[in-house]
Amino acid sequence: MSRKTEGRTASNGRTRRAYLAAAGTLGATALAGCAGFSGGGEPSGTLTVATYSSWVEDDGAAGPWLKDAFEAEYPDVTVEYTTPDSGLNNFIRRKQEGAPIDADVYVGLNVDQMIRIDSELDEALFDDVSGDLSNGDAVKSDLRFDPDGRAVPYDTGYIALVFDESAVDRPTTFDDLVSPGWEDTLLAQNAQSSDPGRAFLLWTVKQYGADGYLDYWRDLQDNGVTILDSWDEAYNNAYSNGERPMVVSYSTDQVYANRYDQDMTRHQVAFLNDQGYANPEGMARFADTDSPDTAAAFMDFMLTPEAQGEIAVRNVQFPAIPEEEANLTDEFAEYAKVPADPVTFTYDELKGNLNGWVEDWARAIAQG
Amino acid sequence: MAGSRTGHALSRRAERVALPLAGLATALLLVVMLYYPVGTVLAEAVAGDGLSLAPLADVLSDPFYVGALAGAVADPAGVPAGVLRWAAGSAAALGSALVAVPAAALAPDATVLGALARLWATLVGVAPPFGLFGFTVWQALLSTVASLALGLPGAYALARFEFPGRRALESLTAVPFVLPSIMVAVGFVAAFGASGPLNDLLRAVGLPTVELLFSLEIIVLAHAFYNAPLVTRIVAAAWENVDARAVETARSLGASRRRAFRDVVVPQLLPAAATGALLTFIFTFMSFPIVLALGGLEFATVEVWLYDRVRQLELTEAAALAVLETLVSLGLTYAYLRYEDAVSRGDRVSSPLAREPLFGLDAKRLALGAYGLVVLVVFALPIASMLVASVAGPNGPTVQYYEFLIQRGETATAAQVNPAVAVRNSLLFGVGTLLVAVPMGIVLALASVSGGDARFLPRGLVPDALAGAGRRFVGVAAMLPFAVSGVVVGLGLLQGLVFGVEVFGARVALGGPLAIVAAHATGAYPFVVRNVAPLLGGLDRRLVESARALGATRARALVDIEVPLVMPGVAAGAAFAFAISIGEFDSTVILAEGSDAYTMPVAVERFLGRQTLGRATAMGSVLLAVTAGAFVVIDRVGGRYRE
Repeated sequence: MSRKTEGRTASNGRTRRAYLAAAGTLGATALAGCAGFSGGGEPSGTLTVATYSSWVEDDGAAGPWLKDAFEAEYPDVTVEYTTPDSGLNNFIRRKQEGAPIDADVYVGLNVDQMIRIDSELDEALFDDVSGDLSNGDAVKSDLRFDPDGRAVPYDTGYIALVFDESAVDRPTTFDDLVSPGWEDTLLAQNAQSSDPGRAFLLWTVKQYGADGYLDYWRDLQDNGVTILDSWDEAYNNAYSNGERPMVVSYSTDQVYANRYDQDMTRHQVAFLNDQGYANPEGMARFADTDSPDTAAAFMDFMLTPEAQGEIAVRNVQFPAIPEEEANLTDEFAEYAKVPADPVTFTYDELKGNLNGWVEDWARAIAQG
Repeated sequence: MAGSRTGHALSRRAERVALPLAGLATALLLVVMLYYPVGTVLAEAVAGDGLSLAPLADVLSDPFYVGALAGAVADPAGVPAGVLRWAAGSAAALGSALVAVPAAALAPDATVLGALARLWATLVGVAPPFGLFGFTVWQALLSTVASLALGLPGAYALARFEFPGRRALESLTAVPFVLPSIMVAVGFVAAFGASGPLNDLLRAVGLPTVELLFSLEIIVLAHAFYNAPLVTRIVAAAWENVDARAVETARSLGASRRRAFRDVVVPQLLPAAATGALLTFIFTFMSFPIVLALGGLEFATVEVWLYDRVRQLELTEAAALAVLETLVSLGLTYAYLRYEDAVSRGDRVSSPLAREPLFGLDAKRLALGAYGLVVLVVFALPIASMLVASVAGPNGPTVQYYEFLIQRGETATAAQVNPAVAVRNSLLFGVGTLLVAVPMGIVLALASVSGGDARFLPRGLVPDALAGAGRRFVGVAAMLPFAVSGVVVGLGLLQGLVFGVEVFGARVALGGPLAIVAAHATGAYPFVVRNVAPLLGGLDRRLVESARALGATRARALVDIEVPLVMPGVAAGAAFAFAISIGEFDSTVILAEGSDAYTMPVAVERFLGRQTLGRATAMGSVLLAVTAGAFVVIDRVGGRYRE
């Protein structure tokens, strides 16, 4: 789950927790010979992976596991993570300013970022890897969000509402959110800076159309919606303190609650109109990389059933390959909720519209 | 003894060039760390195709940004009507709310609280109809008033009374200043939330509860949390510099206590209070993380909007906003410096007023006791709530987050932040910032007060007529780090230094510890200037002239006479410089990228985990403890000059 508001830095150390190493070697033996990549000899050298900070910092984060497992598979490669504060913008600006780009792979892209790259840059920031991945075909076709084949999905999530059933009734439609029973209940996020916030905004555009969504948001404002800057501020600070009984979040919320043996009362998931907004996350290879084969091998590795299962559980998102193929835990299968009717906008539908929708929304809110 | 005579001449010559050299070094540092990086960003605002003012004009004619002023260009006659309507309407609303207060006091059920609440709600509700800029100015004004109201009694208590722990308390006033906004947001939500301790208390004593969160009130309160201590420190430093003998003279000439205070003490405090108000206004005018975390997008300020524009890579619009923001801040600064110049101060040689014991029973002390309660609620409660958040597990109290910090200190792997390294870096950078920012600030303070030009330039180079304007220009320019948006400084450092620039075909990039210290010093020196310049202005010039006549060089007179006399200001400025360095986030996170030069605030942000604030608040509590200790130590070291 990308949180693009935090500072990040890279530090080096090479301590492995025993169980991670064990998992890594297991994965490695199971996978020997699976990883195909085009080109010359065995991958080697340093591979720099740019990503968001929770990929490396969170409890049992996917990043450190992946590094160990990949290095066990390819002993001549060292994976280094870099987590620039401004995320992808850092690389877009570097490209614009003619500054060097020293990363090989980017992990944590979504469709709006691909649109931003294409509107800001004339030259290629990422290249098309579809021909270089042997596991690329395993990715579910409805998740592929980049028509140019640069960004390859590695996991996906659904945006939904998380609510406290002791304080508020389960909302089932968008109309519920603007009716008296749900007054002053909803916490959402700034669509300009937060993934779930933007997904929720797009969901309302899906529901009411480009001409009607602003009216709906005005009604939401009249009904007392609060819009904080990031998922952290909305969920961890305001919602967890019981300031509001409802928050825009992820449909995998109960996986966490279960992991920490929490009471499920405050972790109910609501899908409006039985929908959830699908938000696949992707990875891509920098066009300027000097080790394209190693980069492709890394991306291929992330799509193996073993890695897909680990990433899903550790990142608390759904795998990008069919669930029966990924090694998922029973706990995950039980507590990760899937909407009956996932909705999302495609690249082509968003191109040329996204910026206008988001900016008009932000202006309407700030005038409020 | 010819040898010693030449040695003496050499050292005199060295001293003669020392000040101009220091001035040059300061200027160079500012160009590299501030003017050039910020220039690269702001240039976007006027560099369309060729030189164009269109981006600025777009902002100024957009009702979203300037509300009723938007038509000023097209239809100047239409503006006053709109403004007048607003003024008349607000005056009427405020008037009726004001009248309601005494009326309520006379009513049999005495609903004064309700009437006061209504007055405040009316005041908050009459934001000027000038769009985003209007709202930003409005919330900054309210925040400034709140900071003065909370800060001035504190200065009185610290400067005029003696009680156990006073010195430590004075050191700790810098603590709120360094707390990362995420921590303050956590503390405020926990303390003032619907089921927080404040509302529990109100319920317990049978008073109505308050709904503060996600409102303008909580933003103003959080701004006061950050800035009232600033007012307290600056004013207390000036108060300790008041000459007791002047007060005694007035008293012996028959002035009453109150009269002596009004005519002797207040004029000497006003510049300091005005400095505090100016700094508070500028800071709150530019505030963004707190607004976003506690109010939300609905309460967007210009800086919030600018931040979002940068995140959307709409850099031209962001630059236009930043230019206008900077003009407002610098304009205010200029107006303030004119005022500071005009305030005539008597010659002062400091022999501080005697302190009174705090404990006793009279109206004055009862009022101070009530103030103490307010301080407990506004400052201690949020900080205590932050600390509590760091031991609150998902299912009850826990020390697991502190265990995590210790464990992470031992096992940090690739790209993970190590808390121990963060603590070490923060302290190192803080000390480094002190060493750079204090001399820088003193040099610029000297250049911006009367006779400044003569210190740095050969005599007669600057005509007297221009000297005053030149001084004020230096004074305004010295405030630039405060007047420029932090977001813009960060972006400029990223594009100008971290990405590197082509110099003769090679790419030169700056980052890491030295660049961080330079950036911190650039952000911190204005505090030294603002604390020192007012005291320098009040120095008795005759002392310096006598010393010079007796053969002391300029530098010698500075070190032996001027600096000791303005030491309270230097000490206050130094504490702030350290605080700024410890709390700085925007530039640090950018310059530390890819190295091990991250600091405690960066670690706090990095430890924000999904589904728990525990690790971030545990790191924040470490930050709190380490900096509180450091401030006490700094004050002990610097305090020698103060008593």
